[in-house]
Amino acid sequence: MSTLTHPADQLPHDHHPSGLLRWLTTTNHKDIGTMYMTFALIMFFVGGLMILAVRAELFQPGLQLMRPEFFNQLIGVHALVMIFAALMPAATGFANWMIPLMIGAPDMALPRLNNWGFWLLPPAAILLTLPFTLALFGIGDGAIATGWTFYAPLSVQGGMGVDFAILAVHILGISSIMGSINIIVTIFNMRAPGMTMMKLPLFCWGWLITAFLLIATLPVLAGAVTMLLTDRHFGTHFFDAAGGGDPILFQHLFWFFGHPEVYILLLPVWGLMPHVLSTFSRKPTYGYKAQVYSFIAIGLLSVIVWAHHFFTAGLPVPALIYFMFSTMAISLPLAVLFFCWIATMWKGAMTFETPMLFAVGFIVLFGIAGLTGLVLADVAADAQYHHSYFVVAHFHYALFAGGIMGVMTGVYYWLPKWTGHMYSEKLGKLHFWLTVLSFNLTFIPQFFLGLAGMPRRIPDYALQFAEFNAISTVGAFILGFSQLLFAWNIWSCVRGGPKVDSRVWEGAEGLEWELSSPPPHHSWETQPVIK
Amino acid sequence: MPQTIPEADLERRRAASRRLGWLLGAVVMAIYLIGLFIKR
Repeated sequence: MSTLTHPADQLPHDHHPSGLLRWLTTTNHKDIGTMYMTFALIMFFVGGLMILAVRAELFQPGLQLMRPEFFNQLIGVHALVMIFAALMPAATGFANWMIPLMIGAPDMALPRLNNWGFWLLPPAAILLTLPFTLALFGIGDGAIATGWTFYAPLSVQGGMGVDFAILAVHILGISSIMGSINIIVTIFNMRAPGMTMMKLPLFCWGWLITAFLLIATLPVLAGAVTMLLTDRHFGTHFFDAAGGGDPILFQHLFWFFGHPEVYILLLPVWGLMPHVLSTFSRKPTYGYKAQVYSFIAIGLLSVIVWAHHFFTAGLPVPALIYFMFSTMAISLPLAVLFFCWIATMWKGAMTFETPMLFAVGFIVLFGIAGLTGLVLADVAADAQYHHSYFVVAHFHYALFAGGIMGVMTGVYYWLPKWTGHMYSEKLGKLHFWLTVLSFNLTFIPQFFLGLAGMPRRIPDYALQFAEFNAISTVGAFILGFSQLLFAWNIWSCVRGGPKVDSRVWEGAEGLEWELSSPPPHHSWETQPVIK
Repeated sequence: MPQTIPEADLERRRAASRRLGWLLGAVVMAIYLIGLFIKR
């Protein structure tokens, strides 16, 4: 029986090609993780540019820069890009890089599937954004203009941008399902001896629940948009009331995916938070088991609360009451997580390097998302706030402060491990403070706009909303441009910088810190044993 | 103590992963088809 005893650089399969071919054909989890993260960063800026154009239009009342149709296209594609092409690939990049390192595996269990999963993303991103370009040449009427939710009957009547988006969502979904299958089988089958499920790092637990959620809900979205496609082109009437169909059915199917999607975006971040908090508090994670059970509870609850996204659609009262209370029930396991994060820091020897700053910022700002979410979960209150800017502010506290700032936490925490170099702390801290201040400058006014009655998804508005919109736009531009510091810091760190040891942070615990920085091409040539 | 990974063990784990991967893929297809044909 042969064993993998050769040094990494002598392995036959180590003779990988260089240049572009290396990236096209790689099956190495670190290469693929890097590609996911790079793709996510590029698309983060693409989606960000779109919304800066939107905010420029909203700087003052009246139509200044664009037609309303183009405005609608920008907000819809911004959301689709940020969710499917930035945040989800970033989380998958973390999974690819870190799960094998954390569980003591040489690679992901299905490396070729991994490569395929990534390379589906660029064509999907092109499909999402191509209708903008085609419209410049007089082909079609631009991208999807329904918002990211594809609501029927608007999407049944929409232009060919809807077809492009349907195809893109199918491809992005297939990519995510492949990634999820790979993550589940890797965690189940590739753990080092002695690493029982209850010794699994919390980041891996967060991703395991995420992967199951993706597998349960993405096929429903795929089914819904396929039905939409057949309604548009093949004479079916699933969502057409005139033909005996039901537009509300689309909302049920979409949000059966759409609400778990929120947790799909957040669970990987909740998983990495305890690692960062524990490291910079120099204390073990508080409440490991409580956090694992909370992840599972949130995963289960997330698939039974979907209709709170359309309380105002005319649901029967018993359904309203059920969805209100089940939604509020999610706050219980989430409160357990918040308690554990704070208890981890309690009486710790805390220091505030950039990852810790982002982690603490995440806890405070994501807390606001949770509290405003409770307001929206109330059926009576939601009748007032539905489809207003209050909702826009709420979900940006959830998905920017919760999701993207969580990703930034992870990037700053693990970047020295990935590159072998330390990033600039000075730039990192500047990036943090600019991000937090400008984020609040952008979105606090939107809470007030929503409370005052400004509807979302409109390019023009009443004069009474002018001041808060102007402030929000100024904040958005500072927020957008301050992200260039993030990109520059990453680039500089990849190119060079002070060398770091294997254990980059003094208080870091876990298998990933046993490997060199950067880790060898083949992770864990010799398998660790967990005591 | 660190130990080398026997190739047979690695192959056994990967085979188990492939089997579970196909099973999960079948679950995905089943949910998709149910979703596709759902009616009021």
